[in-house]
Amino acid sequence: MRNSFRPYLLNILLLVLAVLLSIAIGAVLIPPGTLVRMLLTKFPGISISANWPETFNVIVYQIRLPHTALVLLTGAALAGSGAAYQGLFRNPLADPYLIGVASGAGLGAVLAMALRWPGTLGGLFSIPAAAFIGALVTVGIVYLMTYSRGAIPNTTLILAGVAVGSFASALTSYLMLQSQGELHRALAWLLGGANMSGWEPVLAALPYVILSLCILAISGHALNVLQFGEEQAQQLGISVQRVKFLLILAATLATAAAISFSGIIGFIGLIVPHLIRILWGPDYRRLISLSILAGASLLLLADLLARVILAPQELPVGIITALAGGPFFLWVLRRSQRNSA
Amino acid sequence: MFRHSLSRTITAVTIIGLFLSACASPATPAPTPTPTQPKPIVLTDGLKRTISLPTPAKRVVSMAPSNTEILFAIGAGSQVVGRDEFSDYPVEAKSLPSVGGSYGKYNMEAIVNLQPDLVLATEINTKEQVKTLEDLGLTVYLLPNPTDFDGMYQYLMTVAQLTGHETQASSLIERLKTRVKAVQNKILPLSSRPSVFYELDSTDPNAPYTSGPGTFVNLIIDMAGGFNIGNKLSSPWAQISLEELVVQNPAIILLGDSAYGVSVESVATRTGWSALDAVKNKRVYAFDDNLVSRPGPRLVDGLEQMAKLIHPEVFQ
Repeated sequence: MRNSFRPYLLNILLLVLAVLLSIAIGAVLIPPGTLVRMLLTKFPGISISANWPETFNVIVYQIRLPHTALVLLTGAALAGSGAAYQGLFRNPLADPYLIGVASGAGLGAVLAMALRWPGTLGGLFSIPAAAFIGALVTVGIVYLMTYSRGAIPNTTLILAGVAVGSFASALTSYLMLQSQGELHRALAWLLGGANMSGWEPVLAALPYVILSLCILAISGHALNVLQFGEEQAQQLGISVQRVKFLLILAATLATAAAISFSGIIGFIGLIVPHLIRILWGPDYRRLISLSILAGASLLLLADLLARVILAPQELPVGIITALAGGPFFLWVLRRSQRNSA
Repeated sequence: MFRHSLSRTITAVTIIGLFLSACASPATPAPTPTPTQPKPIVLTDGLKRTISLPTPAKRVVSMAPSNTEILFAIGAGSQVVGRDEFSDYPVEAKSLPSVGGSYGKYNMEAIVNLQPDLVLATEINTKEQVKTLEDLGLTVYLLPNPTDFDGMYQYLMTVAQLTGHETQASSLIERLKTRVKAVQNKILPLSSRPSVFYELDSTDPNAPYTSGPGTFVNLIIDMAGGFNIGNKLSSPWAQISLEELVVQNPAIILLGDSAYGVSVESVATRTGWSALDAVKNKRVYAFDDNLVSRPGPRLVDGLEQMAKLIHPEVFQ
């Protein structure tokens, strides 16, 4: 009984640590003592005279805190969706972008920029909204293309995802070359996301991510049974097609909401579930929720590195995750080769 | 039936009411300045927003190299407290703290920490970045890209108004106009108009990138007495095939990508390029692209240098 709480405890502690580090560290040096006092004043009943510059308030509450929240949601969404897809497709190479959600989001965003949607159409949310819709429409097309006689074969789904995703990417490149005035903006989006700060992106993505991750987290049992194969799972009482639909829907919503604001960040959805699997086993009842926690922490730490390594220049966090993810993935590969040899 | 039409009426009235309230412009009386107070500076920026400063800006963060060059040229250099990663002219700008800018990402913390009273952005900065800065409580002025020299002079004056250097800017503009006129006077009587190929990128030597119509490069080549081959292409930043280049056979090749390591000698070694007149007559020159791509006072430097390269016979 004690064993089953320990991984959760460890991951929650890691998450808390990652959040604190993310708020404490940045291009501007805020002494830890000052930071603690700044956070304490927010509690009712404690009054500390503010002897720090007003800019620190802006930096912590309007820049770092919402940024930390957004990165947390993104890491959680990507890792949770990745774990779910790895279980659903029974494929260790599966990641949240497998069936075209990233290419669709990119196409949606660049299309909105190319058509010069006024920023005031729903505020500057028009670009992330377009990305979100693009992602959902693309996965929807892939899903409908694959649907035949009540079933969705996995291989067909992946193939359709690759095909539609490539088409969307090609369209995106073409649009970027055609609308050169917006080229810079499109590139910035593809590398680093909506570049919106403040609490609005967090509030916009929050409902989708929370709801979807809840759905994924309680699907652990169904995913465990699915590992035996779809026919077996059907005979054991899992309504496979319905579970598939729900999992794909939830994973797509979470991923689309996350990448519409944070940009397309790779490797987190692929690597984190593997890490959890190595440390605490492949039971999906734990794997999904632990991946969610660990994904949030690890992306926060990667984002921290991206912000300080070349300060004041900020790197896109996708570069850090790729640099770390590549070698890690090679190591997993060699380990699995040794185990199966 | 009656309830149905009642709810419809209520909906219609609500919609009309909302529409009217949105149309009604709130009356905000402009504050009448007292005689002892300086007049606030009110200007409309490139995003069509009205920006107002109570006094000329004393702490400016520049978000693009062109803005930095403009600020220093009009004498506002001491008022600049931060600049983007790519600002490298004049030399004093390099010692100012950087606020990012690579990969399109600026460090908002660093900008806020500098406590600027004005952030000078350009069209290279996205609307999202402008909104982020404003949400953080900063005043942002987006200086649009000029399309010709008169536009550039106008924006020099705009920045001067924002920083309180109108007289210096006026005299700078006069000097720039005199230099431009001097070049034009020498070019006007000439009859030859050599063709020029301005190379922006030659990663693929079979399809190099050049400046097309609507760019300052195009305009400056024309004002310097040359003919830009890229003028026939369809977009401001376009690829031309090597075949077309051989057909056009430019008399002069300017290497705008010389800052990225492309040397004059390397052009002759490219397959097929030795057939071009410019290579045969050794009229391939390196060119500082910053002089024609940054919309600031150094455009005049670019014009003079280009004129010297295209028509060396009238410029000693």
